[in-house]
Amino acid sequence: MPQSAAKVKDHISLFQEPEYKELFASKKAQFECRPTDEAVEAQSEYTKTWEYREKNFAREAATINPAKACQPLGAVFAAAGFEGTLPYVHGSQGCVAYFRSHLARHFKEAVPIVADSMTEDAAVFGGLTNIVEGLQNAYALYKPKMIVVSTTCMAEVIGDDLSAFIATAKEKESVPADFPVPFAHTPSFVGSHTTGYDNQIKGILQYFWEREAQLTAKPGSKINIIPGFDGYAVANNREIKRYLDTMGVEYTLIGDVSEVYDTPSDGEYRMYDGGTTIAEARDSINAKATISLQEFCSLKTMELVASKGQQTAAFNYPMGIGATDAFLMKVSELTGKAIPGSIEKERGRLVDAITDSQAWLHGKKFAVFGDPDFTLAMTAFLLEMGCEPTHVLATNGGKDWEAKAKALLASSPFGAEGQVWAGKDLWHLRSLLFTEPTDFIIGSSYGKYLEKDTGIPLIRLTFPIFDRHHHHRFPTFGYQGALRVLVEILDRVFEVADASSDISYDLTR
Amino acid sequence: MLKKKIQDLMTEPGCATNQAKSASERKKGCGKQLVPGAAAGGCAFDGAKIALQPITDVVHLVHGPIACEGNSWDTRNTGTTGPELYRRGFTTDLSNMDIINGGEKKLYKAIRRVIDKHHPPAVFVYQTCVSALIGDDIVAVCRAATERMGTPVIPVEAPGFVGSKNLGNRLAGEALIDFVIGTREPTDAGPTDINILGEYNVAGEMDLVRDLLARLGIRLRTAITGDARYNDVAAAHTARANMVVCSQALVTLARKMKERWGIPFFEGSFYGISDTSEALRAIAGMLVERGADAVLLTRTETLIAEEEAKTWAAMEPYKARLAGKRVLLYTGGVKSWSVIHALQEMGMEVVGTSVRKSTEADKEKALDRLGGDEDKLVDAIAPKDMYQMFKDGRADIMLSGGRSQFVALKAKTPWLDINQERHHQYAGYDGMLELVRQIDLALSNPIWSQIRKPAPWEIEE
Repeated sequence: MPQSAAKVKDHISLFQEPEYKELFASKKAQFECRPTDEAVEAQSEYTKTWEYREKNFAREAATINPAKACQPLGAVFAAAGFEGTLPYVHGSQGCVAYFRSHLARHFKEAVPIVADSMTEDAAVFGGLTNIVEGLQNAYALYKPKMIVVSTTCMAEVIGDDLSAFIATAKEKESVPADFPVPFAHTPSFVGSHTTGYDNQIKGILQYFWEREAQLTAKPGSKINIIPGFDGYAVANNREIKRYLDTMGVEYTLIGDVSEVYDTPSDGEYRMYDGGTTIAEARDSINAKATISLQEFCSLKTMELVASKGQQTAAFNYPMGIGATDAFLMKVSELTGKAIPGSIEKERGRLVDAITDSQAWLHGKKFAVFGDPDFTLAMTAFLLEMGCEPTHVLATNGGKDWEAKAKALLASSPFGAEGQVWAGKDLWHLRSLLFTEPTDFIIGSSYGKYLEKDTGIPLIRLTFPIFDRHHHHRFPTFGYQGALRVLVEILDRVFEVADASSDISYDLTR
Repeated sequence: MLKKKIQDLMTEPGCATNQAKSASERKKGCGKQLVPGAAAGGCAFDGAKIALQPITDVVHLVHGPIACEGNSWDTRNTGTTGPELYRRGFTTDLSNMDIINGGEKKLYKAIRRVIDKHHPPAVFVYQTCVSALIGDDIVAVCRAATERMGTPVIPVEAPGFVGSKNLGNRLAGEALIDFVIGTREPTDAGPTDINILGEYNVAGEMDLVRDLLARLGIRLRTAITGDARYNDVAAAHTARANMVVCSQALVTLARKMKERWGIPFFEGSFYGISDTSEALRAIAGMLVERGADAVLLTRTETLIAEEEAKTWAAMEPYKARLAGKRVLLYTGGVKSWSVIHALQEMGMEVVGTSVRKSTEADKEKALDRLGGDEDKLVDAIAPKDMYQMFKDGRADIMLSGGRSQFVALKAKTPWLDINQERHHQYAGYDGMLELVRQIDLALSNPIWSQIRKPAPWEIEE
């Protein structure tokens, strides 16, 4: 017997036992009705050809391995960043279980979200009852300071009106009349998680600025920062706050999840630990300016902000030298605070580190996939290091993103051969990697299948990262973050060098 | 005895510099007096170790405290096409009680253990400062071990305090001539066998050379010592010609091989296109003189013509990108002149070349290629002067070893490693193409424009 109680084998070693190998072999031979190995091999080889690539790119009906998630995922992420806030999803509970596990697998934290569990009768008669009962129960059970409502497709298809439903629920005293219940319609069949993030942040600000009371902006000296949907938010938000504190800037981070998705194990369960207080959210209308760290996560929100007379600036994920420079200089310009020497030194150290290693990075080809803002930042940073971004792909990238990415590649000779793939999925990327291979792939854990298929090493640098632990606890923003990204890339470069040849298995590199 | 040996090495008759000296100066030797308190390079032990370490199938056993082996263990990037044993760090790791009671017994036991365990064709035992100071007689221990165990155990008497790294290289050569070369008669000696002395197979670049030689029908018996096998080194005396690559390190060995076995030698280089061609011509010429078929000469010319044309053509695209770029060569030995020609062909200007470890002949060749401009021949440049040179923008790139890299980098100047820690093969025709490619890459990395600018918020509008 391969398994014994004295020493139980895990699945990694168990299935290597002869019994299992035999079992798999005989299952394959007798029951799988497979084509011959040769036929499978031939088909597999065919999928690596240019001919197949063209067929693959002519594909219209199916999306295969999309590198994006849906609106409510972004919405519940956005909601979690506020004080005492319970994200609440109006719709079917199955979707919500997905969001919770998706976020928990990445952040390794409990992710409290409630659903009002619409069922068949709700689909027929509308979800009003679910909202009325759901808000009442959630308020009574979990005692939040705010409930932020988003929707799943089910509610959107039948056309539930959140504004009216929530008003009715308040009339029926599900929650007190002055209890904040911001909301956003977040159908999955429109946009992606970045759209959902945008809608939800906008919904929250709109609630405090317009619905709770019609506020008039009285511009002060503070600035708002909207971080955007970011798998590294835990560390990145802290890094941004460190910069702003060092510069002596007064600020509000709108939707700060750095605590709630990274709570200590000290015996206390922190169900709510969003970093933005309700008072700050309300007061954020009085900021002098609002900076979005991720343009494509905040298009609508920034329109709202601008309509209140604030100055606005949007960046594409401040990672790398130029991107961090631009962010800091904008902050400095808006607030009149100088960038201190300590930050300038950090910058110098980053540049120094790149010069130390540039020979190892120079001309290396990369395929980058992920969200629009991340891919832009990653591409820019690769160009700064003399790497060649060969494929830049965002399943949730639109025309604007495509134009921006193309302009970015055109700005450097290292981008001359780079190609931009908006709206394409990871099965497209597979064809690209077989026909026009790169040295490395940068993306999320979902890239690991591409790595296995193509043999091109994957560097995990964006959400979701399920199969490696704690990456999100170290920043990618700013100069320190760029340094860490540099090291991640270099580590893979050196691992490949070590693995590829006994002759150059060198101690010193 | 060691003292006499060193004296002999310092008055090398095969060395042009030495011969040009007066009798009294010659007696003083060529070792530069080390200046206490000034930064200095490696010691004789280090020199001996790096010269012999590339022999891949033997045990290199360091008789001393941990520092000597611990700090040098596997830090040279010399390649192997077979055995890996040379990469293991073996040491007697002398401690307090060994210093008091003597370490000879421990050494003997260590030798026995490594032979029992690894059955190497030979063991090289390295003397260090500590074991020399306490009077351990490694020659006697090695002799006893050889007799009793039947495996050659070679003493390398180059304790650190006897002098510089270069002296250590030469003492390594002495160990080879005294104990190794000529101890085995091969059954397959042929008319086109050669050795290459002072070639250490850095980054495995001998592949490029071996391939060229193979196409000419020339067999490389062994390099001394890059990617070498002990038995090939022991049979090196049957080669028909020796090429000396790093002349300062092993010219004495070449001379002694000539005296003892009549093997002619020449100094050449596989760095640079015309130098590679010259080297191949010289090898073919010597072999033919010594009885190889004269058709080798025409075959050589054909290969040279073909390779040169191919290489220049392949380098053409780089011309436009590299023209006008100013290079500082900060290395030594053959590299001080051998790459100048190719760089000039690329339209690059060599603003200076250091001739620290170069012979008079090296210097003449370098001077010749620099159009007789003496100012461009520099000896050691003090780091602060070098820094200033880069600060003033007098060079666009430095090619050097790892130790001076930070001077360039901190002065915001690109740098390319052309010494032993590099990872690219620069030998032969293909190697030169690679060097040009690497220079292009280093120069065009976008980080250099970044590093020369202050932080953007420091720029006055």
